[in-house]
Amino acid sequence: MVPPERRNPWHLLLLVPAVLLLAVFFAGPMLLLLRVSLFAPAGSRGFYQPGTWTIGNYAGLFTDGYFREVLTFTLLFAAGVTLLVLVVAYLLALFIHSLPPRQKALALAAVVLPKLASMLVAVCGLQALLSGAGPVNELLLALGRAGPVQLTRNLAGAVIGETYLLLPYAVLLLVVALGRIDPALLAAARGLGASPWGAFRRVTLPLSLPGLAAAGQLTLVWALGAFVGPLLLGGPEETTLAVEVHRQAVENNRWPAGAAVAVVLIAAFVLTLTAWAALARALTWGKRSWKADA
Amino acid sequence: MGEPGTVPCAGAALELEGVGFAFGGAPVLSGVSLRVEPGSFFSLLGPSGGGKTTLLRLVGGYLAPSAGRLGIGGRDVTDLPPERRNVGMVFQNYALFPHLSARGNVAFGLEMRQVPRRERGRRVEAMLDRVGLTAAERDRRPSRLSGGQQQRVALARALVIEPALLLLDEPLANLDRQLREQLRGELKALQRRTEVTTLFVTHDREEALLLADRVGILAAGRLLQVGEPRDVYHRPRCPFVARLLGDANLLPIASAGPDGVFLAGGLRLTRLPDPPGAYAPGQRILLRPEGCRPGAAGEPNCWPGRVVASHFLGADHVVALDVGPGVTLRMRWPSGGPPPAAGEAVQVAVPPEALWLIPEDDPEGMADGPS
Repeated sequence: MVPPERRNPWHLLLLVPAVLLLAVFFAGPMLLLLRVSLFAPAGSRGFYQPGTWTIGNYAGLFTDGYFREVLTFTLLFAAGVTLLVLVVAYLLALFIHSLPPRQKALALAAVVLPKLASMLVAVCGLQALLSGAGPVNELLLALGRAGPVQLTRNLAGAVIGETYLLLPYAVLLLVVALGRIDPALLAAARGLGASPWGAFRRVTLPLSLPGLAAAGQLTLVWALGAFVGPLLLGGPEETTLAVEVHRQAVENNRWPAGAAVAVVLIAAFVLTLTAWAALARALTWGKRSWKADA
Repeated sequence: MGEPGTVPCAGAALELEGVGFAFGGAPVLSGVSLRVEPGSFFSLLGPSGGGKTTLLRLVGGYLAPSAGRLGIGGRDVTDLPPERRNVGMVFQNYALFPHLSARGNVAFGLEMRQVPRRERGRRVEAMLDRVGLTAAERDRRPSRLSGGQQQRVALARALVIEPALLLLDEPLANLDRQLREQLRGELKALQRRTEVTTLFVTHDREEALLLADRVGILAAGRLLQVGEPRDVYHRPRCPFVARLLGDANLLPIASAGPDGVFLAGGLRLTRLPDPPGAYAPGQRILLRPEGCRPGAAGEPNCWPGRVVASHFLGADHVVALDVGPGVTLRMRWPSGGPPPAAGEAVQVAVPPEALWLIPEDDPEGMADGPS
């Protein structure tokens, strides 16, 4: 029997809008970026020297000790923020999951609400909150600290800011993952002799690993591209690849160098995502079959 | 056990004393008292929403009663969490751990009890042998097992911990009829062999009667009657129980005197199981369809009737008879002769031993009874 799609090639037309969208808004800009990274840097005028081909921008990056620092910092920063987000989000998700339905909806709204405001507004709020005379330091002083703690324009600020910005996505994913676990399973575990902690360790935790893997993946991608947190709440030391792209392209007007940094950042995305997928498979024992009918 | 805090009446495997439970101010269970003897099979039968599952959750320790005490094996467990009650439970949807193999599921309770690895393995395999799971099936995760196999794993998981009490929450409800009938036979045999005291919750009267040593009727949060299946079936305490346990003709008494009892519709009963003084107008007499037989005109307790409908049900043939104005009687036609067709006139005789005077009305606040 001939499948219906073989008989009529016109069905391929249905793919055109999607392909067009991807080509114009994804593949096109990517190729453009790659091309720009291979131009020679501009002299006194323009963004770059059109028509030139060079790998000098990349060579420059990798012989530059400063860039290696930025790359290393970006990877460590992303890993650290992801770990922190996962821990905080998991605890928060467990708490929200334990609430009765009405309070649960309220708590979820509270988690998502900051995302409705502009990211800049949220960060300005954080700056005020964490500043030397802000409420956090006032509290610390009231608790007996001698002087204010520096929580902005340094690593602490960048980490707090980025963690704050990325937390809601992970919390949402984890609350959904926990909600999918049949409460009868915990009852069964308790009935079989497990303490509340034992039931958590042997049932809830393993069954929420796929959710943790998904939340971690999403957070890691966002954290690798961290920009606003390090830029506005970090100091000059806290330069990530995304901040470096901004500096090169916008502040220094060196578009080809900025594009090369961006290409390295994208390569980092791809590598980390691949590594993460492998890790997630190992975490969930590579067998997801039980998820199919869960 | 003579330690303080034990239920005074030791010896029962399960003992409930005036147990009540309220949810958001509304009572779900009230004043439930019950004793289950060691090694016996107790069925709790009732319509959905009657409080069966709540009672099971109270016994398992997943809910705390708002009144009363609970004892298991002579020990007061009212304030103990589930993990300290040593109760095995089979959930309606089995609640097997999806991330563990059949073996892993069964081993779980033994791991929690820190049974040494070698003994654990031996007991798991022995229990899986008992419930009849093949070697290949033992390594599979629940999602790759059929409903019947999952049920066996759930049963093995609950039994391997050698519980003081086995709780079954409609464990056969999700299976097709043929498998259900096979598994309930196995369930009963397994219970007999392991002699584990079992509390079985169901809304299927056939299952409840077939499996139980004793059956309790739970409706609207109250335990209406407890007894041996045969006893509860033939001698229900109230109309609700009569209808819940099977097809029932409930005949209201119009008047009673020394020469017999007159039922609604002008039917007369001269031979009765109780002395005439026991009968009073307003009470109801239970007559099960299988209690009637074809009779001959002039016999005592015999009424002429006309067949309204004739139903072939396989093993049984049930006819609906119009025996008086507004009175329809359901009667099981004995096998042997051809059953009458609709419209035929028949005589129906009612032996006194088939009659049961229902002693009580339904308690206050009960719905009209099961449909």
